[in-house]
Amino acid sequence: MADAAATVSGDPRGRPTVLDSLGEDITRIVYPVSACMLLVVLLVSLLSSPSAPSPLAVSIAAATGGGGGSGGGDDIPTALVTALTFVVAVTAATFLLALLFYLRCTPCLRAYLGFSALSVLLVLGGQVALLLLSRLRLPLDAVSFALLLPNAAGALALAALAPASVPIALHQAALVAIAVLTAFWFTLLPEWTTWALLVAMAIYDLAAVLLPGGPLRVLLQLAIERNEEIPALVYEARPVDPRHGRNWRLWREGRQPGADLDVSSTTVEVIGEVFGRNLDSNSGNSSSPQVHGVATSAGDANNSRPRATLAAALSSADSTIAQAEEVPVLREHRVAVAEMSVPLIQPRPERSGEEEEDEDGIGLSSSGAIKLGLGDFIFYSVLVGRAAMYDYMTVYACYLAIIAGLGITLLLLAFFRTALPALPVSITLGVVFYVLTRTLLEEFVVQCSTNLLMF
Amino acid sequence: MTVAAGLGYALIALGPAFSLFAGVVARKPFLVLTLLSSTLFWLISLIVLSGIWRGFLPIKSGTWWAYAILIITSVALQEGTRLVFWRLYKKMEEMLDAFADRISKPRLSLTDKMLISLAGGLGHGVAHAVFFCLSLLTPAFGRATFYVERCSKMPFFLASALIALGFLVIHTFSMIIAFNAYDEKKKCDQIVVPVVHLAAAVMTLVNLAPGGCLIGTPLLLVMAALTLQYCWRVACRRLTEHQHRQLNNN
Repeated sequence: MADAAATVSGDPRGRPTVLDSLGEDITRIVYPVSACMLLVVLLVSLLSSPSAPSPLAVSIAAATGGGGGSGGGDDIPTALVTALTFVVAVTAATFLLALLFYLRCTPCLRAYLGFSALSVLLVLGGQVALLLLSRLRLPLDAVSFALLLPNAAGALALAALAPASVPIALHQAALVAIAVLTAFWFTLLPEWTTWALLVAMAIYDLAAVLLPGGPLRVLLQLAIERNEEIPALVYEARPVDPRHGRNWRLWREGRQPGADLDVSSTTVEVIGEVFGRNLDSNSGNSSSPQVHGVATSAGDANNSRPRATLAAALSSADSTIAQAEEVPVLREHRVAVAEMSVPLIQPRPERSGEEEEDEDGIGLSSSGAIKLGLGDFIFYSVLVGRAAMYDYMTVYACYLAIIAGLGITLLLLAFFRTALPALPVSITLGVVFYVLTRTLLEEFVVQCSTNLLMF
Repeated sequence: MTVAAGLGYALIALGPAFSLFAGVVARKPFLVLTLLSSTLFWLISLIVLSGIWRGFLPIKSGTWWAYAILIITSVALQEGTRLVFWRLYKKMEEMLDAFADRISKPRLSLTDKMLISLAGGLGHGVAHAVFFCLSLLTPAFGRATFYVERCSKMPFFLASALIALGFLVIHTFSMIIAFNAYDEKKKCDQIVVPVVHLAAAVMTLVNLAPGGCLIGTPLLLVMAALTLQYCWRVACRRLTEHQHRQLNNN
């Protein structure tokens, strides 16, 4: 009775309901994606001149006497050719990776991964840092810069590649940093090329994961067969833990250790259950294996699970070359950032030795967290960054579209329980919303709000 | 305008939303997702609306009745969206209750439902403020500021931020009233919400007259305060009734 009253008055001493921790795993992937997009938008607004500024920006610039940016001339055929070349290069690189994985050259793959992460941080990071220094007029001399940059790049690369040896926050921050730098570099491409590239990568992702001969599918199957993990740059959201879950709340008293495990079921599993797929295999207490209490066994499981979620790494993009006209350069240099834009997660974790419920789990990692490839981060941010070059209204619209696409992908994942590509839905929605906002919404909203008419 | 002023305007429009988010919504991840989805809904309704009206823009400045029709259609569409949102929410509630039963946890309590409706309303309000106020703010950093002819006493951005604040409050709390009314099937509350929305929107028509924004903006804020007070009454009444019922049952 006291419980009921407490629940009614809604104070935290009441029994925790379903609402308390549901959806936490999704938010744990939404926050980093949003952070990455925010950083890219900030970088783009600070550093790039808009290629085709919106009428509002032009009129404001004219009113304040500033000059507007000039639009670069690029046309559709060049864009299509560039995008096609890129996709072909990525496919070839992914097949190469699959071959290397098949031949069990794991050191090769790891070395490749390390080299590309380091080169992104060093070269791209250095370039962005120089641009920022000159734009913001920060006083930093060359010697200090030469000292700081390699150290920072090395530390972040290490943090990105060896998650076991650094705090998880640093590891995640390093991954986001790599994604931000790569995405920013991609936004330097001309406008039509960027859009063509995004659409082409979305189609490629769809084909590579779902078609039987697709390189990513091949890679995943190899990894599952062998029960090995593909070395890759993957963002893994922190495991959902009912006890240490939300860092900003104090540990509640009186919470029985066993009782709340079930609430920590991931949202994706909830959706799966609700769609009735779990009815047979679920035995009432759907406590998922992501309890921190079994951290040690989870640690073992971590090493042995078939984390076949992602294809590998960033390639060594020789990134100082940003001209899209030089197609032969592209062929060599612009590779396989996108290889990481690979299926979201792999279902069916291996049953490890621990006695957990027969989850029929959605194949999150054994700690129950969602994993998202870094390539997905990169291409989402490229889309939003390119939208930022037009106007902020498109940024907001595209951001919402991408998050909606991510949510839909997770729903589909709960429904279909197979590896799914994370790019197509979000990119499609993003592009559609961008076009709609730019053609329809902007005029309408500007007309209304400049007359101070709101509803 | 300067960055400091711009930040100030942005905080006027979005400050309460930010504190509501940090204090209430961010604590429960499900509410964050509700907020995002309701923002998306509002955006979609706005896009549909602009699609309908695209052919008629730009409206000539003398014809205020064209604006009136615009506003009426917009409000009608958004209230329709609210109903759709309500239906989806009901489905979601059923799913959540079924899940809660399965894992033998308590079902959604009344405060949970009110929190969800708060997050939904906040999503609408934030979307409104972002698209109508914030998106005009950020390109305008730099020297000088803007004044509109018809509103020569207040900087344009200040007026826009105040109106956005008013509408944020109205959207957020009228969603709570609306969900409550649909739940309890109270006709009068169900009518109150669209009427308030329409009244507030029509009030912004006053801004079309020269010097009108000096009247329109404070009136709008008064409406927002009235909505807030009404919501407070509704919520208190509902909660105390619920509590009495619980005590009587036990």
